[in-house]
Formats: sequence, structure tokens, C-alpha cells
Amino acid sequence: MAQIPNLDNSPLNLKSLREQSQRDLVKILKDIRGKKCLVIEPKLGGTLSLIIQTSLLKEYGIELRHLSAESVETDCSKVVYLVPSQRDLMKCISSHVHDGISKGLQREYYIYFVPRREIQCERILEEEKVHHLITIGEYPLYVVPLDEDILSFELDLAYKQCQVDGDTGSLWHIAKAIHKLESTFGAIPNVRAKGKASVIVSDILDRMHTEEPMNSSDMALSEINTLILIDREVDMITPMCTQLTYEGLLDEVLRINNGSVELDSSIMGVQQEGKKMKVPLNSSDKLLKEIRDLNFEVVVQVLKQKATSMKQDYTEITSANQSVSELKDFVKKLNSLPEMTRHINLAQHLSTFTSKPSFLAKLDMEHTIIEASSYDICLEYIEEMIHKQEPLINVLRLLILFSVTNSGLPKKHFDYLRRELLHSYGFEHMATLYNLEKVGLLKKQETKSNWLTVKRALQLVVEDTDTANPNDIAYVFSGYAPLSIRLVHNAVLSGWRPMEEILKLLPGPHTETKRAGFTSSPSFATLQGGSNGLDKITDGRRSLVLVVFVGGVTFAEIAALRFLSAQEGMAYDLIIGTTKIVNGHSLVETLFDRLG
Amino acid sequence: LLWKESWELGKNPMASKGSPLHGPRIKLIDKAQNLFAETKEHTFESKAAEEHAKLLRIQHELEVSTKQAIFVDSSISDTIRTCIVLGNHRAAMKVKTEFKVSEKRWYWLKVFALATIRDWEALEKF
Repeated sequence: MAQIPNLDNSPLNLKSLREQSQRDLVKILKDIRGKKCLVIEPKLGGTLSLIIQTSLLKEYGIELRHLSAESVETDCSKVVYLVPSQRDLMKCISSHVHDGISKGLQREYYIYFVPRREIQCERILEEEKVHHLITIGEYPLYVVPLDEDILSFELDLAYKQCQVDGDTGSLWHIAKAIHKLESTFGAIPNVRAKGKASVIVSDILDRMHTEEPMNSSDMALSEINTLILIDREVDMITPMCTQLTYEGLLDEVLRINNGSVELDSSIMGVQQEGKKMKVPLNSSDKLLKEIRDLNFEVVVQVLKQKATSMKQDYTEITSANQSVSELKDFVKKLNSLPEMTRHINLAQHLSTFTSKPSFLAKLDMEHTIIEASSYDICLEYIEEMIHKQEPLINVLRLLILFSVTNSGLPKKHFDYLRRELLHSYGFEHMATLYNLEKVGLLKKQETKSNWLTVKRALQLVVEDTDTANPNDIAYVFSGYAPLSIRLVHNAVLSGWRPMEEILKLLPGPHTETKRAGFTSSPSFATLQGGSNGLDKITDGRRSLVLVVFVGGVTFAEIAALRFLSAQEGMAYDLIIGTTKIVNGHSLVETLFDRLG
Repeated sequence: LLWKESWELGKNPMASKGSPLHGPRIKLIDKAQNLFAETKEHTFESKAAEEHAKLLRIQHELEVSTKQAIFVDSSISDTIRTCIVLGNHRAAMKVKTEFKVSEKRWYWLKVFALATIRDWEALEKF
């Protein structure tokens, strides 16, 4: 089980948020008397591990199970299902109930939907003739704190649902989650949205405000000053690039899930053949907090330095007589040893990947594509990848990058590459290609690309990036500054207005809203750093900006945002909200549609 | 839009049917091809469906002649590789010409396949 992150240093009281969710869950379980068996959908289980310890649940005498097709074996007379509202799960539960009846078991069944019940799900239960046997409730878990400054709405498929299926249910969920935050931390006076989905979220949020207005005394206490909504659709370039920060690279190679990675214990130097182990990754780990957002090149050096200084301390201790207080200091330093070993092991594992020539070649190619300097070289490289049948997802990531920066490929190349892809990987990928085309990631060129203009205007390619002493967010990709974060940066500093021309070149509309009740007060009219009245109200604390990524955010982008908020002259703390933490792989994977 | 729906319809049952049901599967793909062919913007999809059906037929023949059920549902490239690995160069050539596989791709496939079976002599010659 992953370690629950320590949230003490959060600029927002996220701890209370988590405690509230904890209390809600415990209350649900307490209200059901007697011995009970809690059956959790596995993925939801992962999410819950960030909210509550299993040991705590066991204290309440609860048996825990993961939901699977097999029926539940338990002595408990009460079975409680905790599941997301997914139609396929209903069939599964129904069969459990039928199975229980046929065995003549006297059981009571409960289903708690997370975060809310859906009519379609209940209808399936009715069709299966089990609806009347089940008590139905809701567990309103809309948002989970992943770390001090990250909130996740845990909507893995949000990007695909919005873009491919046109299903906007997840947008309602996001708006609801933000609305809930507002009821705790006060209404957010400024809202800026870019991208189709973002604007929808902002509209829903407005509607929620008119439906359940907050009283104005709450509004005055607003802890969050500005909400920035960015649609993933606006910047699909950044996630397709290989992340080069420590945490980003860990995610690319090992996949970080719910704030921890699972890996072979041999990597961590534990001699247990084939055993998997979980390593928690959050800011409770002080060393990780220090290095997570650094460029990986630098991380290796930092770790080396720390190891040498430790060795020096050790020789000093053994060579000379030391006072007790010095000994104490030394022992204190030793306490960080497990963290050191952990990250040295992880870094070593990562460097087996990063030192490969193929890895470097890939990075090189990404940069060539972003610079848009030589179309033909890129085309040939991708063609060769296909011919060598390299993993499809790697090919698609580069191809998407290529297609998006060129705003599509000329028909000849588009058809040629698609044909080669189908020939090399099989015709079953037709549907995946269709999805990619539908969301505009891989398409026929229709208009001239404006990537060059955008790139120049926002200075996305930065020459001579010093990864050790970065002075620009471009360090996270060793020379490329993520487009999304440049937008956020500008939005925080001055709103959309000064860059309207650029915004028009990017997909989706943009809006800027000021909530009623604030328009009259001139101090909120502009958000120029430090000069408005708000900073005084919050007595020395910096005002807060909530940046929400609709469709997911990468660790590299988070690193860039943290870098920004740590800059001098930045009068804002940034909190990040996301549907899920993603990377190029997981995003493209959601678009995979295997026929059969 | 209607057409897109109809092709999704045509595709899904096709994929869900397993390899033993060859006849109906190929027929469905043919149907999908015809559906695509009716609109202009789907010429690519129509071609792909046509080739898919052709590939399945060839794979079926190969399975009958080699008595090994390893061909169906692999891609064109995989089929060529399997042929070379099995030493059946003529069949590989046939698939190559049938689908107009480019020389570039052909060389990669041949090199990989020969390396898999450690046929260094053939690799040298070629």
C-alpha cells in the first residue's frame, strides 16, 4: 500500500479535504451495522489508498476484497460494494447477487457509487432483477490530493471521452469538484479558460453558482484568487515529448501510479527473485522533494555529491575524537541514508535507459521535430521506425508530434504512413488510427502550420539551457519550454488579453470571467503581480492560483509550474488540479482501440 | 457521419469473430470495404479493408499448407518474417509482391528474420 502523502506544507488546507473524505467513508461504513465485507473496484482501491489506510478500515472490523468476476466468499452477512458508475460493473455485481441467492445465503447488499449514482447503472440492476435487493448510496469523492500541490480528479479517460466519444460527463465532474473546493475555500473570483472543454467546465461552474449561490461573506474569504483552466487539446505537443525531469523520467520508464511506482525488488538491491515492491514517491520524502523536478542529468550529480559528502563525514567520525553533539549530527544525517539508497538505486535503473544510443536518438528526433527544421529527416526516421517494427506506441508518439507541429501531413505522406503502419502492425489498428484522426492528432494537412509562429512568439525553443542552474522552464525538456506552461505563466501574470493573437492560433476558444460581486471592486479588476489589494488581505501569504488541466498533466509540466512559483517576483502560489497525471504513453494508450 | 457509424458496425462484429469462422469474417470485411467505397473520403479505409481480406485469405492458405496455425491475425510484416524464418522464401516473396511491400521495408524484415534464425550465411550473401 502506498504511503499517504504528508500534506502539512500545502499552501491550501488539503489535509482537511482529505479528512473530510475519510470521515465520509467511515460514516458510510459505520452506518451499516454488523460485520461487513467491503468490495472495492481495483482501480478505485488505488485511489482510496491515498485517502485512508487499510489498517484503519480493518479496525472497524471490515473485510476487504477487490471486485472481480468471481463471486465474493465471505462469512459476513453484509456485502458493501464501492464502485465507480460503470455499466459493465453492474452485470458483475448482479451475477454476484444471483450467485448468493442460488447458494441460499442470507446477505444484505449495498452499493455505494463513487462519486454519484447514475440512472443507467440502476436500470441495469433493474433489468437483472436485483435492484430491490440492494441498498444504493453515494460516496461523493470528487477530488483526491496527490501531494501538497496536486489534486487529482481521478478521471483516467477524460481526454478520450471528451475528444473521441464526445462524452462530457467528466467535465461535469471537474466542475463539481471545483465547486466543492469553492464551498470549502471560498468562491474563486477570476476564471480564465482556454480550449473547448475548459470553456464548458467554466460554463457549468457558472451555472452551479447561480443554482446554489454562495453568500457574499464566504466570497470575501476566498483563498483561491484565480482559476486557470487549460484543455489538454490546446497543447498535445508537450506530453508527446520524453520528460527529462527525475520524476517525469521515472514515470516514463516505470509508470508512477497513485504516487508510487511498482518495480522489481532487484532494482532496489533487495535479493528476492521476481518479487515486486512499491516505492512511494511524494513530498514526505525530503530528498525526492529536492530532486524530483530537476533535470535528470543534474540529479545524478546531486546524488553523487551527497554520497561523497557523507563519506567524508564518515571518515571524519572514525578518524578523530568527536563531541557528542557532533556525533548526534552525524547520526541525524544517517537517517537520510535509506532515502539516499532508494534514489541512487532508482537513478541507476533510469540511467540504464538514458545511456542507450536509441534513447538519445529519440530525444534528438523530438527536438528536430519541434524545431521544425528538416521535414524530410523526420519523415524518414519515422518510416524507418515503422519498418523496424519498433513498439507502436513509440512510433505513434513521434508521429503525433510530427503531425501536430505540421498541422497535419500532406495527403501523400499521410496515406503512405498509415498504410505502412497497418502493414507492419496489423489491420486491427485501423480503429486506433481513426481515433487519432478524429481528435486531430494524426491527420491530413489542410492549412499551413502556424507552429513556427507560436514557437517564436512564446519562445518555446530556448538555446543554451543550463540544466544545472536553470533560468527558464525549458530545462525540463532540455531546451523546449512546454507550451501549456508558457500559456499558464502568461495567464497568471496578465490574463489572456495581451496574447489574444497567439491564442487564436491554438485550438479552442478562450474566456475570461469575473464573478459578480467582484466586478465592483477595482482591486480585483487586474491581476498584476503584487500591486493589487488582494495580497494585503491575505496577510503576507501569497495569493493562490489553481491551475486545472482538463485531460491530464505530465510531471514535467508540474515541475515547470513549481519552478515558476519558486521564482522571485512571482506573487502567487500555484496549486495544480488535473483529471489524471499522464504521459505520452498513457494518453495514446487511451486512444487505442483494439478491435476484438 | 452515417457512413462512419456503419463502418464501425461493420468492423466490430468482424473483429469479435475468431479465426475459425473464416468465411463470415472475410465476408464482413468485404462488406465493410463496399461501404467505404460508397463515399469518396473513405477510399483509404476501403483499400485497407480490401487488403485485410486478401491477407486473411493468404494467411489461411499458408496455414493449410504449413499445417501451423500461426499466421492468421498477424500483420503483413509479421507474415513475411514468419515465412522467412520457416525458410519458405517463395511464400515470403509472394506476400511481398502481392502487397507491394517497399524494398526498404523488405530489407529490414529480411535482416531481422535471418538474424532470428541465425542464418548468417544467407545474411552475408544478401
